[in-house]
Amino acid sequence: MIAQARAELLKIRSTRTTLGLALGLVAIVLLFVLLTALLSSVSDLSQTENQRSLFGIGSFAGVFAALAGIMLVTGEFRFGTIRPTFLFTPRRSVVLIAKVIASFLAGLVFAAIGEVLSVGIGALILNERGISLALGRHGYELMTLGTIVGTALWGGIGVGVGMIVRNQVGAIIGLLAWGFVVENLLFALVPGVGRLTPGQAQNGFMGLTDAHLLSPAAGGAVLLAWAVCLCGAGAAIAARRDVS
Amino acid sequence: MAPVVRAESLTKRFGKLTAVDNLSFALEPGTITGFLGPNGAGKTTTLRMLLGLATPSAGQALIFERPYAQIERPALRIGAVLEATDFHPGRSGRNHLRTLSQAVGIPDSRVDEVLRVVELDGAARRRVKGYSLGMRQRLGLAAALLGDPELLVLDEPANGLDPEGVRWLRDFLRSFAGSGHTVLVSSHVLAEVAQTVDHVLIINRGKLVRESRLDELTATIGGAVIVRSPQAEQLGDALRQAEIEATTQDHRLLVHGTTTERVGEIAAAAGIVLHELRTEESSLEEVFLELTADEPT
Repeated sequence: MIAQARAELLKIRSTRTTLGLALGLVAIVLLFVLLTALLSSVSDLSQTENQRSLFGIGSFAGVFAALAGIMLVTGEFRFGTIRPTFLFTPRRSVVLIAKVIASFLAGLVFAAIGEVLSVGIGALILNERGISLALGRHGYELMTLGTIVGTALWGGIGVGVGMIVRNQVGAIIGLLAWGFVVENLLFALVPGVGRLTPGQAQNGFMGLTDAHLLSPAAGGAVLLAWAVCLCGAGAAIAARRDVS
Repeated sequence: MAPVVRAESLTKRFGKLTAVDNLSFALEPGTITGFLGPNGAGKTTTLRMLLGLATPSAGQALIFERPYAQIERPALRIGAVLEATDFHPGRSGRNHLRTLSQAVGIPDSRVDEVLRVVELDGAARRRVKGYSLGMRQRLGLAAALLGDPELLVLDEPANGLDPEGVRWLRDFLRSFAGSGHTVLVSSHVLAEVAQTVDHVLIINRGKLVRESRLDELTATIGGAVIVRSPQAEQLGDALRQAEIEATTQDHRLLVHGTTTERVGEIAAAAGIVLHELRTEESSLEEVFLELTADEPT
C-alpha cells in the first residue's frame, strides 16, 4: 500500500498539472483576499464574522484538492495509463486507496498554501489599515484545522468522483457546478438539507457561524462521511467495471 | 509441464454481441504464439480477460494456473502491452516507468536498465509528447519488461512500426523466447508475425478456428515449400522416395504437404546442397484469409 501510494504521489509530481492547479489556487486566493481586504470598509472588516470569511478564503484549496483527485483518476482513463496501473496492481481497491492517500497529501500542501496566503496577507492588510484582529485563538485554530483537514478530505472526494464519472471533463464540470451552483442554491432554499452538502459542511467545519451551518464537529463528520461514501462507491464501481 | 496460459471455454458477451465465444487454448512454456484474426475477431477482448482487465461472462482465463488478479505481484512474472499509446503526454518516459516500478518495489536501477534494453536511454528524461510512435511502442515494451517477466503478452505490437522497428521487435522477441520465456503476440496480419512465431492461434468472430504449429499449418493446408538447389533433380527424387510430392523447374523445387524442416533433413541425409529453403509466404497469407473468411450466410 505504501509502495502504491508513493507511485501515486509520483504521478502527481511528475506532470505539470499539479503545478498549474497550485498556481490557479494562488491566483484565486490572492485575488479574493486582496479584493476583500482592500475594498471592504473598515467597519465591515472590524466584525469578527467578516474577518473569519476573509481568512477562510484559503479554503478554496479544497476545490483544487478535489480537482487534483479527479485528475489523478480521470487522467489515467483519459490517457490509458489505467491499463498498466491495473496490470501492476490488479487489486483495484488498493489503487484507489493509494490515490486517496496521495490526494490527501496533495490536499495538505494546497491547504498550507491557501492558509498562508489568506491568513498571512489578510492579517497584513488589516494591520496596515489599522484594523485590530477580532478572531480569538480558538477561532484561528478551528479555521486552520478545518481548512487543512477539510482540504485533504476534498482530495479524497475528488478521487471518488473521478472513479464514478471516469470522464475528466464531465467530472470537473460536475464538481464545479455542484460546488458553486447546486450547493449554494440548496443552502439558500432548503438550508436544513443544504447544510449537509460537502461544501457547507466544510464551512461549518471551519467555524463559520451562519445560523444554519453545522457545528465544527458535525461539519467535519459530514465531510468525512461524504469522502468515505464517494470513495466506497468509486471502489465498488472500479471493482466491477471492465477496463476497455 | 503446466501451461503458462490457459483459456477454458472463455466467453465474453456485450449485450447481444458475443465477442469471445467458448474459447479454449493453452500455451506451453518457451513458445512464441501468434494470436491471429481479423480486426474485431475478439483478440483484444481475450487478452483483457487474460490480464484481469475485463471479467469473463463465462469460462475462465488462467495465467500460471491462476486468474491474473490472484497472482501475487503479477508484474514480476507477466509483462503486457495492450495499447501503444498508454502514456501521460506530459510525463517523461523515465517517470512513466517509475510510476509503475515504485508500485511493486522495483528499483530505479532496473528502470534505467530496461530503458537501455529498448534503446530509449537517450530520450528517457524527455516528455512522452515528443516521442515518435516507434519510441512509444518501445516505452510500452520497457514497462512490460520492468519486472523481468517470464511471459510477455503484446497486443498488435507491430502496428504503426516502420520496417526497422518491426525487425527490431522480431529480434527482441526471438531472444526473449530463446531464454525459455513465453510470448503471446496478437496481430491481424499473419505475415507480420510469420517470421517470429512458432505456434498460431487463429480466431474469427470470437471462435477458435485453428490452433497449430506454424509449419504444420503451412504443410497441412498445402502451402508450398520453395527450394533452390544446384541438385534439384536429385532432391526431387529423394523427396519422392519419402513420398513427398515435388515439382521441379530449373534449379527450383516446389514442394507440397511438408515443412521446411523435413525438406532440409532429407536434403542433408542425401548430401544435397541447398541455396534456398523457405515457405511460400503468399500461400500462408491465403491460408489465413481462407480460415478467417466469413462463411456465406
